[in-house]
Amino acid sequence: MNKIGVFVCHCGLNIASKVDVVEVAEYASKLPGVVISKDYKYMCSDPGANLIKDSIKEFDLDGIVIASCSPRMHEHTFRGVAKDGGLNPFTVEITNIREQCSWAHEDPAEATQKAKALVRSAVSKAALLEPLEASRTPVTPEALVVGGGIAGIQAALNIADSGFKVHLVEKEPTVGGRMAQLDKTFPTLDCSSCILTPKMMEVYHHPNVDLLTYAEVESIEGSIGNYKVKVRKKARYVDIDKCTGCNECASACRLAGRVVDEFNMGMGKRSACYIPFPQAVPLKSTIDPNSCLMLRFGRCGDGPLCVKACEPGAIDFSQKDETLELNVGAVVIATGYDLLEANRMFEYGYGRSPDVITTMQLERLISSSGPTHGEVVLPSSGKHPTSVTFILCVGSRDETQCSWCCRIGCMSALKHVYLLREKLGEEVEINICYTDIRSFGKGYEEFYRNIRSKNTNFFRGRPSEVRVKKEGFLIDIFDTTTDKLFEIRSDMVVLVPALVPRSDSQELARTFKLSRSSDGFLLEAHPKLRPMDTFVNGTFIAGCAQGPKDISDTVSQACGAASRAVGILSKEELENEPLIAWVDPEVCVGCGVCVEVCAYSARNINDVTGIAEVDEALCAGCGACVSSCPSNACTHKNYTKRQLVRMIDEVV
Amino acid sequence: MGITDLTSMAEVETEARRELNERLLRLREEASYYCYQCAKCTAGCEAHKLLELEPHRIVALLKRGLVQEMVNSDIIWTCLSCFKCKERCPQKVAPVNILFALKNLAVASGKEVPGDYTAMLTSAMGMGLIQDVQTVTTRGGETRTREGLCLPPISVPTDPAKFQMTVMTVAMEKV
Amino acid sequence: MRLGLFPGCLMPTEQYGYEISLRKVLPMLGVEIVDVMDLSCCGEPLKSINQMLTLTLSTRSLAVFKKEGLDALVPCPMCHLALSEANRIVKEEEDMARRLNEKLSAEGLDYDGSVALYHTIDLVHDHIGLEKVKDMVKVDLGSPDMATHYGCHIIRPTELGRPVDAENPQKMERILEAIGARSNDYAEKLDCCGGPVLPVHPDTAVTKTGQKLQAVQEQGFDGMVLACPWCHKMYDSKQKKAGETVGAKLEVPVVYLTQLMGLAFGIPPGELGLDLNQSPVERLLQKDKEGA
Repeated sequence: MNKIGVFVCHCGLNIASKVDVVEVAEYASKLPGVVISKDYKYMCSDPGANLIKDSIKEFDLDGIVIASCSPRMHEHTFRGVAKDGGLNPFTVEITNIREQCSWAHEDPAEATQKAKALVRSAVSKAALLEPLEASRTPVTPEALVVGGGIAGIQAALNIADSGFKVHLVEKEPTVGGRMAQLDKTFPTLDCSSCILTPKMMEVYHHPNVDLLTYAEVESIEGSIGNYKVKVRKKARYVDIDKCTGCNECASACRLAGRVVDEFNMGMGKRSACYIPFPQAVPLKSTIDPNSCLMLRFGRCGDGPLCVKACEPGAIDFSQKDETLELNVGAVVIATGYDLLEANRMFEYGYGRSPDVITTMQLERLISSSGPTHGEVVLPSSGKHPTSVTFILCVGSRDETQCSWCCRIGCMSALKHVYLLREKLGEEVEINICYTDIRSFGKGYEEFYRNIRSKNTNFFRGRPSEVRVKKEGFLIDIFDTTTDKLFEIRSDMVVLVPALVPRSDSQELARTFKLSRSSDGFLLEAHPKLRPMDTFVNGTFIAGCAQGPKDISDTVSQACGAASRAVGILSKEELENEPLIAWVDPEVCVGCGVCVEVCAYSARNINDVTGIAEVDEALCAGCGACVSSCPSNACTHKNYTKRQLVRMIDEVV
Repeated sequence: MGITDLTSMAEVETEARRELNERLLRLREEASYYCYQCAKCTAGCEAHKLLELEPHRIVALLKRGLVQEMVNSDIIWTCLSCFKCKERCPQKVAPVNILFALKNLAVASGKEVPGDYTAMLTSAMGMGLIQDVQTVTTRGGETRTREGLCLPPISVPTDPAKFQMTVMTVAMEKV
Repeated sequence: MRLGLFPGCLMPTEQYGYEISLRKVLPMLGVEIVDVMDLSCCGEPLKSINQMLTLTLSTRSLAVFKKEGLDALVPCPMCHLALSEANRIVKEEEDMARRLNEKLSAEGLDYDGSVALYHTIDLVHDHIGLEKVKDMVKVDLGSPDMATHYGCHIIRPTELGRPVDAENPQKMERILEAIGARSNDYAEKLDCCGGPVLPVHPDTAVTKTGQKLQAVQEQGFDGMVLACPWCHKMYDSKQKKAGETVGAKLEVPVVYLTQLMGLAFGIPPGELGLDLNQSPVERLLQKDKEGA
């Protein structure tokens, strides 16, 4: 015989204003199996919890029904209360009389009627609830961080400092990412490399960090606490242990100055063997198989010059890619962003003249490690520009390209105004065509105010096109602050392109089984409350992989993601969610339908018994297998057919 | 309750705004709601420099519901229908099509049809084309006719009466 | 390839040079042009008066093509735009399609959006192919540098699906290369001819014409090539007036793409209607003699 307690919450007036809670509690007290029924103003408060706990003891309850808000809000709370009161937490049934009743109905009588039906239905199920015990899985106390930009570096350092081993995987030959390409950062004008390089060195030397540059994750299996990862270390064709980073090979290379330099955004040329930039970590050469003559054609003149130039004999054309297998308990994805191909906005002249450049290219022109050693010159002539026009929101806030705001464009352009003034003096004319200046971060508005005093022409509007003339550019802009059309004549145009997901983000999402939002960036579990979590337990996101953000926000999110990961790594064991699927071995015929439908790889057919098994650590309790099992062998614990039919019977 | 433009004392016409936007939707056009006044349309407007058309202002006035003001204005007849505004709008708004709709409203409300449109309309309703065959001159000043150039007869509605019936009923109707 | 001709209004009533050269050149490339009777104006020039009228006129003509079982060659960009829009609305807007068909039923016509449309440029570039064009070339044009002018309505709006790219149109350039001419891009390439405001603001219309011609002349082009009867009316027929308006002596040879193709194919200028061009096209003919 069941002894069920019913607890009806007022939720202040949220429920009580529409539902007669006293009447519902009174009604519930007469339902079969119910031995105690109470109403209370805030059931989730301390006194409310005590009321439940005391009732469990007093009436020796074996099941509880809470009529309150959505279980999404307080299921966890009430399971805890039941546990404290000495009851199995899974004998708690919550029925939602707020979102699905008091908030949805106008008429108090009808709302009360519905609340009674919901409670009746819940009581009928409570009588059938099974006490469940959570199984446990040990945790591998190591983490994987994917992406070696500032987000990945910061996350890796935080995890490593917490005493856990971190494998940091970066696909380029060096860590540093986008931040390494920047000259200064807004709004403090810190030298980007000066603040980044120490962190790059730290990940390189940290005893807990296993730095895997020029490597990519091939596959990942398992789940929270126990992932198995395959990482492919691409052949560098350089023996890392021998290479001293002298870069003699690059100078000797037959293709020196002939290979497009990605790090400099195509503004300069490098060799086939190269170190991307002077502060690269590790400071080791890499031979690019897409350009190296030896690797492409098997011969390089009368013998590769790099081999001759390399004193320690580090060049090794026989190197092959290697695959490593790692076991980790948590994963942080920090793969960053790409910039929109600026020629997608063809009307702005990118690609039609070398003097139409992007902000990132300007960044490389300004940087002392860039192709011009910090001289800002026109790529076409090598002369200093006399008038520079910035066009903001190129492809951003644009339904034909990227509907979102890039969040860094305005500030990066303002920063460039400052830096150009510093480099080129007061003479250079600077024009900014903006739609709205968004200076939302700490110190940003103050920086914007400062730039407004720097003799800058702000035009509020978007040009329709950039006309490429023989002598410079003509840009018509309708300025909505003066209601006038202006013709700007400039010899340099800087486009501020949209931030877009990495070109391989779809592949990445598939590998890690992550969701993407409609913009293509990785989707967080909740935009406000779980911004670093994904829908895959134990896998977290940081930085621009999740969406455009500036360095400050990236670092904050990276620290958050690291702390979420450490939260897992610091446990010896993890409790598995008990509300999962269960297969009746007497009924299962091993047809394998469940294996196909399971999105979490939690199902397999046992080789010996030939019937389906549930991996309790992987099963997310989604129910796909239950609804597709042709022989009804599959059940969802505490959502059994019997329980659900009984609930329906009570309401219809 | 309501909103008044204190420079012209015009009232905001929410109903006219709704009707116009619905008409645009029926012709598969995005309504004006999304415009954020970047004026990219006006910066590239072929009619702006010479005729002072400001497409972004047309959209703004429609958003504000000042429809009659535009219907009564000659400015709506300056559009060159080059479609650059629609092509380049970051919010997929089409000022060019708002202008077509406004001109249609002006005609429907009995305003005088400007310029040569009346002649073109009469010709099209009558013989099917906006003008009849012309005699042309060569660069040397000699005259040439279509027949003289051995071109086949022009293609026009074979049953003009029926054709006129079809098109006349339309001219009376709202979109 | 067998296509019905949708002549529109301007080409068959005054822009004879386009029609003559079209009828000469396309058959040489394997296109059989069929004259379709019972057509009318596409309606686009009357869109400012009544859009429903435009749609009805377009749909009616397309219904005639459907009845004849022919796809349409539409040499005028403006007609091509109107007919494309009618095709889309009939295909995608059930309610509008029903209303339009109700009207057409009076003439025993009906339409379902099934007629395919070809403009001169995409017909030559995409369907006939440049190889076939190259094979026909008999005369060396002397590699004149021609400013291309596409006409707004054949390139925009992209959303409707246009045969040529809106921001970087290059199909005419490729055709020019195939017939032994060349074309450098110029900043004013996408500018409008001014034609559409001719009925209301004739002075402004020719000012726009003059501004672009002036730019073309100043940049040293040998001529201008286009495939739109409206634009040709502006740049060729009204060139003198346009020059007066902008205060410049304009002498830009303006030819139809099909006229230039015809010259390259060895057709005598007289058979291409070139004597009807008002601009000094003889300069191009001299160029080809110099080259030959």
